[in-house]
Amino acid sequence: MALYDVVIIGAGPAGMTAAIYAARANMSVLLLEKLAPGGQIINTHEIQNYTGVGTINGAELAYKMFEHTQELQVTFDYGTVKDIKEEGNIKIITCEEEKIFEAKTVILATGTIPRRLGVENEDRFAGENISWCAICDGAYYRDKDVVVIGGGNSAVEEAIYLASLANSVKVVTLFDLTADPVSCDELRALPNVTIYEFYNIEGFTGVEKLQGVRIKSTQTQEELELTCDGVFEYIGLKPSTEAFAALGILDEQGYIKVNSRMETSVAGIYGAGDVVTKELRQVVTACSDGAVAAQVASKYIKTI
Amino acid sequence: MIKEITNFEEFNAVANQGKVLVDVYSKTCGPCKMLGFVLADLEKDMPDAVILKVDFDRNKEIVEKYDVASYPTILLLQDGEEVKRLKGLQQKPVLKQLLEA
Repeated sequence: MALYDVVIIGAGPAGMTAAIYAARANMSVLLLEKLAPGGQIINTHEIQNYTGVGTINGAELAYKMFEHTQELQVTFDYGTVKDIKEEGNIKIITCEEEKIFEAKTVILATGTIPRRLGVENEDRFAGENISWCAICDGAYYRDKDVVVIGGGNSAVEEAIYLASLANSVKVVTLFDLTADPVSCDELRALPNVTIYEFYNIEGFTGVEKLQGVRIKSTQTQEELELTCDGVFEYIGLKPSTEAFAALGILDEQGYIKVNSRMETSVAGIYGAGDVVTKELRQVVTACSDGAVAAQVASKYIKTI
Repeated sequence: MIKEITNFEEFNAVANQGKVLVDVYSKTCGPCKMLGFVLADLEKDMPDAVILKVDFDRNKEIVEKYDVASYPTILLLQDGEEVKRLKGLQQKPVLKQLLEA
């Protein structure tokens, strides 16, 4: 079995940047991904704050980053990691597909996945009429009625996008809108948008197809049912770190604890990107983490 | 073989014979683009597999026939009959298994 200098888990901006820096440091690199390169950015229609790029489609940026790794001959493979064990200075990475890899260092860059509400009938309609991707499924709701759940930046931006297609958009949020004020003003000014602030989601209704959303005011206890054809949920993200719990490197929310060198408490294991405890989760900060992690890993392998 | 479908007749000519994987996608959707990446990779491993790409915007009859409401949707057809449906971006090993089964 090949022993890699570094196995990078997750091929989003953090993982792909780590791969580029590691390859340029002459390390042997395996980039592992369970789906396809890109991570969360593939769900983003336009990225407008990645320095020097102007405006770019998320999937297009993902492709460009991946091509960059391939120019440097980074080995790419598909795998869903279920376990990492240490044997001396070697890390053994086991995938659900029963693939096993060995590495001197591991960079964990598995990112986040959308958080779910966990209410009645959510699982039943998930992926059909409950969606987490307005640019994927928005077109289906042309001239129909949709509900957007959440009040942060993603919820407000996607609601603005959906309002350009749908007949009506109802935005339901547990508190008030917390997105940046310019976007909130833009949303409030749209004629086909209604905002329900301080409402809790009680569940989804419908027999074969989704019919509506049951909501309850946290201030007046008033209960309403909003009829709709589709729902888009944007209530935040959670880290993809279940496979790493046994390493003892996670914080209370499940994010990976790292220092400024992206080191976890386990020697030779690093965290990078949205999956680590940090202030700002953006493409540019993810890339920065990846570069640091790869650089520190390359120094580490010279010491073992 | 990956084939981009442009109309219903063309689809019927190919889809009704044997095992066919259909990718119903939207041009504006990122996960759809990345599924394209995965399928291109799959084609390298399985050059004989028949994979049809259907742009939902240009192929309303196909979307209506199979009642597809979210993108991407993967349909596995056996002689034109739907035998399996997967919604969203899929793992390459899962798709490979589907075609090998």
